[in-house]
Amino acid sequence: MTERPPSLTPEEAREALALIEETTRKMRRIAAYGGMPYFLIIWGVVWFIGFAASHWVQSGPMVGWIWFVVDSLGFAATFYVAARLRRIMKFPLAATVGWFWLILVGYGVLFIFFAQPRTDTQFSLLISLLVMFGYVVTGLLYHSRFLVGLGVLVTVLMILGYMAFPTLFNLWMAVMGGGSLMAAGVYILRTWR
Amino acid sequence: MARFDDLIHQPVRLRIMAALAALAPDASLEFTALRDMLQVTDGNLSTHLTKLEKAGYVAVEKTFVRRRPKTYIRATEAGRRSFADHVAALRSLLDLAPTSPEGRAE
Repeated sequence: MTERPPSLTPEEAREALALIEETTRKMRRIAAYGGMPYFLIIWGVVWFIGFAASHWVQSGPMVGWIWFVVDSLGFAATFYVAARLRRIMKFPLAATVGWFWLILVGYGVLFIFFAQPRTDTQFSLLISLLVMFGYVVTGLLYHSRFLVGLGVLVTVLMILGYMAFPTLFNLWMAVMGGGSLMAAGVYILRTWR
Repeated sequence: MARFDDLIHQPVRLRIMAALAALAPDASLEFTALRDMLQVTDGNLSTHLTKLEKAGYVAVEKTFVRRRPKTYIRATEAGRRSFADHVAALRSLLDLAPTSPEGRAE
């Protein structure tokens, strides 16, 4: 059933819808749903650089340092975006999500310590699986099917790369893992414009 | 259900509801951020927010952040529903619009 005032013209309805669309777009650009697309791009870049370095440099302390630097920059960028958004928004769920990620990191350390992965590739896979588990749970908390789907997709890609191209796993992860995260972030921003 | 809402249809209130409905359900926006986005005055925004708050469409929370007063606004569940119904009514009006000479819906 539709109730409408008799005085409203289709042109006025069209103008109202245009106003709504413009405002929605503006708001989404400002708030970006708690920063989700920015975080995806930031961590996509981190994965791309880290895994590409792991592929080209192979192993040794240099790889560890590169990961340390890009991870640190990733965390700094994440906190910067979150702090900027916090100035204009209150997002109660963000605290829950933040705690969840801290707990996940703690369990991840325990998991890696006791699981004792035999190779660098296994080590990378285990960490990446935990991160994607984090994406899926975060998606569930935010009721974001997009984020849940992204987490599942990247998980499938990771396992596929590990099984099919074990020697090229890091390169696979740089392109498919990091690339998927970046593409997802860019896609959200573009569709919201 | 598509239902036209006179209270929401006023342009500033329409934009307020559109902005707040675009946020995640539990998220609220700081007053000055909403004011700057809509490019309205403090008084104008307050007046419209009061009307929306009285209707139960928005919730206003006054708090202190680092000893500074802050006001956060979020769309309530009822507000989101009414806004969605209003948008549906506008859309259905375009789909069903009869072609009267004045172009007015009947």
